[in-house]
Amino acid sequence: MSADPGIWVAAILTLAIFSFLYRENPVFRFAEHLLVGVSAGYYLVQYFFSAVYRKLYVPVFDNHEYILIMGGVLGAMMFARLWRKYEWVSRYPIAFYVAAWAGYVIPSYVQVRILQQAESTMFNPMALPPAEAISNFIIFLGVVTTLSYFYFSAERKGPLKISSHVGVIFIMIGFGATFGYNVMGRISLLIGRFQFLLTDWLGIVQ
Amino acid sequence: MAFYDRMMQIDRRIIYLCMTLAVAIPLIVPIGMPVQVSDEARGFYDHIEDLEAGDIVLFSFDYEGDVMAELNPMSIAALRHLFRQGVRVVSVTMYAGGTGIAQDILEETAAEYGKEYGIDYVFLGYNPDWSGTILRLGESFKATYPADQFGKSTREIPLMQDVETYDDIALLVSIAGSALSEYWAIWAGGRYGVTVVSGNTAIQAILIYPYYNAGQIPGFLGGLKGAAEYERLVDIPGLGIKGMDAQSVAHLLMLSFIVIGNVGYFLSRRHERKLKEE
Repeated sequence: MSADPGIWVAAILTLAIFSFLYRENPVFRFAEHLLVGVSAGYYLVQYFFSAVYRKLYVPVFDNHEYILIMGGVLGAMMFARLWRKYEWVSRYPIAFYVAAWAGYVIPSYVQVRILQQAESTMFNPMALPPAEAISNFIIFLGVVTTLSYFYFSAERKGPLKISSHVGVIFIMIGFGATFGYNVMGRISLLIGRFQFLLTDWLGIVQ
Repeated sequence: MAFYDRMMQIDRRIIYLCMTLAVAIPLIVPIGMPVQVSDEARGFYDHIEDLEAGDIVLFSFDYEGDVMAELNPMSIAALRHLFRQGVRVVSVTMYAGGTGIAQDILEETAAEYGKEYGIDYVFLGYNPDWSGTILRLGESFKATYPADQFGKSTREIPLMQDVETYDDIALLVSIAGSALSEYWAIWAGGRYGVTVVSGNTAIQAILIYPYYNAGQIPGFLGGLKGAAEYERLVDIPGLGIKGMDAQSVAHLLMLSFIVIGNVGYFLSRRHERKLKEE
């Protein structure tokens, strides 16, 4: 069993959180509130130090990069949201941020997430080994039929009805795979806690 | 209450107890279930294996404590692989809560291989605004990170003398508990042409497949299973492989409960139909 007080605190808090599985109780509440409080304090210090101090104070006062004051002023304007009368002031930094973000995102997203990924669904079946050609055909079929499911400008009858039905099957398979991965992820987190309890705390498992 | 009704209304505490036993027992008494290596994990491995001694890798810890269980095994295995190859590592984190995790893992793995800080690896820490950070690294690493995590100027760090932009990076490894590895692929990969491989939580992994299929992320590790596959490839058993028995038994238990619930449902429907017919 560990002699490290830090491990003991972590283990006791883990058990306190697990106690919720039986029923809501004050021990769980204490651990939950402690987490919220500690996290808020930690992030406040981290963000202040890494953003305000390292990215604004040091460059402006030590390196004389005065252009950054503009960013600092825009950031300070965000706090105007705290006063209803001056709330409108915060719209300017938001507008600036949205515009910059759109400029960042739109060209890159169109290129990488639409054009390149659409390109990867196009293939020459004669140039591929049979297994790969079948695999690529299934991806192609999935893309086309799923897109047809989201085509709402025509009545669903004839080929469109069949295609959208096939699309629904692909969507359901996607949901199933997502759920499966979700379960796997949650269980992995539980395994992580048990590895900590059994190895680091109790020392039962090496 | 009929038997089939009980099948559908098992007390959740019984389910939790069964799950506890399904996870704890295989950890205490390992079964040694086989781990099959996927093409995705092999792609991740091959890209690191192809690096040469002296190459520089940008390693991003894009996660915090909530997903340590899934991603720490990947980070540890990947860094061991990189250090074993003699590759130099420039490390960052895109999360404020990732600094402690990254620092611990870097120091631990570097010590195993006798690597020296500033020469073989460096930790630049957390920088606010991940989108701006990813893009600005394409212009200048030193301007984006004037100092490392410990406040030392990057201009004075020997390893950083060989790193100016993404052009100096042989491979980018993002171990992410969110969509960060996608953003690395979009901006660092799409705009600056860096090869990106990733390690992701199981929940995130399914979203990486389109990038994998398009060759934008040519290899990735999905969840604890991905970590176990990779540990097997690098032949350094760690927390991933140790957790696989528990993962498999827990999945079997989940499947059993799903089957029990469904059988109960169909039996109750049959019973209702019979009652209506009578």
